[in-house]
Amino acid sequence: MVVGGLREFAHRTGNGSGTPVLEESNGEELMRVQPSVAVALGNRSLESPGTLYITSRKLIWLSDVDMAKGYAVDFLSISLHAVSRDQEAYSSPCIYTQIEVEDDEDEEDEDDTESTGALDLSKIREMRLVPSDSTQLDTLFDVFCECAELNPEPIEEEEEEEEEEHNWVFSADQMVVGGGAEEDGEWPISQSPTSVIGLSIGDEGGLAQPMLELQINDQRFDDAEEMVHESETKDH
Amino acid sequence: QLFFSYFKDLVGQEVTVELKNDLAIRGTLHSVDQYLNIKLENTRVVDQDKYPHMLSVRNCFIRGSVVRYVQLPPDGVDVDLLHDAARREARGG
Repeated sequence: MVVGGLREFAHRTGNGSGTPVLEESNGEELMRVQPSVAVALGNRSLESPGTLYITSRKLIWLSDVDMAKGYAVDFLSISLHAVSRDQEAYSSPCIYTQIEVEDDEDEEDEDDTESTGALDLSKIREMRLVPSDSTQLDTLFDVFCECAELNPEPIEEEEEEEEEEHNWVFSADQMVVGGGAEEDGEWPISQSPTSVIGLSIGDEGGLAQPMLELQINDQRFDDAEEMVHESETKDH
Repeated sequence: QLFFSYFKDLVGQEVTVELKNDLAIRGTLHSVDQYLNIKLENTRVVDQDKYPHMLSVRNCFIRGSVVRYVQLPPDGVDVDLLHDAARREARGG
């Protein structure tokens, strides 16, 4: 599954209903259909008429008149969404969304209609959805929230090694020589000695991972004083 | 789960969320979830030059994974308490 911003979407069922084809094998479900929704990509003008399909994975907008025209964006790529009723910001009440785009270079202007050549959808950072029925905005906002929550950052199993970097150190006595590779039996640390303090926002679901305990019973880390004291008492 | 609990206690306070794309949004913290997705109310954009179209939206939902910082009200943070709680959590409670 390629996740990377807005893209064209024209995969409609052939039964004439023109509904989008979903990735059912992936568990994708249709959550809501909102007819009569116009879409504005970036600072382009509104496109309509169309229908908004909200699935458990992505947003799909399909044109009602041009069967080859449609757009889709995964919820994983939607950085934020909001209900916009500020007429100074935009003439119609709408759902405003920001789409996460890979930053290749600093682009000041988005490719827009003025100079249509090939519009690069993957560079679109803002998208507005304008339902003809503006009373639906709050409901749509809620559905967007639900679907966003269904799409947390995927946990990537292969990146176990990276987790070492995400150790958050709060004090000096937490500094441990990692690896647990020593075999002298004095390091009762479990297979994954890294203690992930689950904070990394923006990470592969760091919070969802269980907290691992770091147990160091090695006497080497005891205070020097205690050792001296011990040996002193021994001498007596 | 520490920061999730921490943010839950901040609900109702004014915060400024800075996203990884440099956008800063100020608003009242409405709610937060385990992925640190944030819902703000009465939001307004701090840096209006970059995203002028956003201006003021009443409510917004911000995906946890795009948050860089959450700026807290200075008197809303008990640093020592937070420090101790974090250490406890690091040691497994």
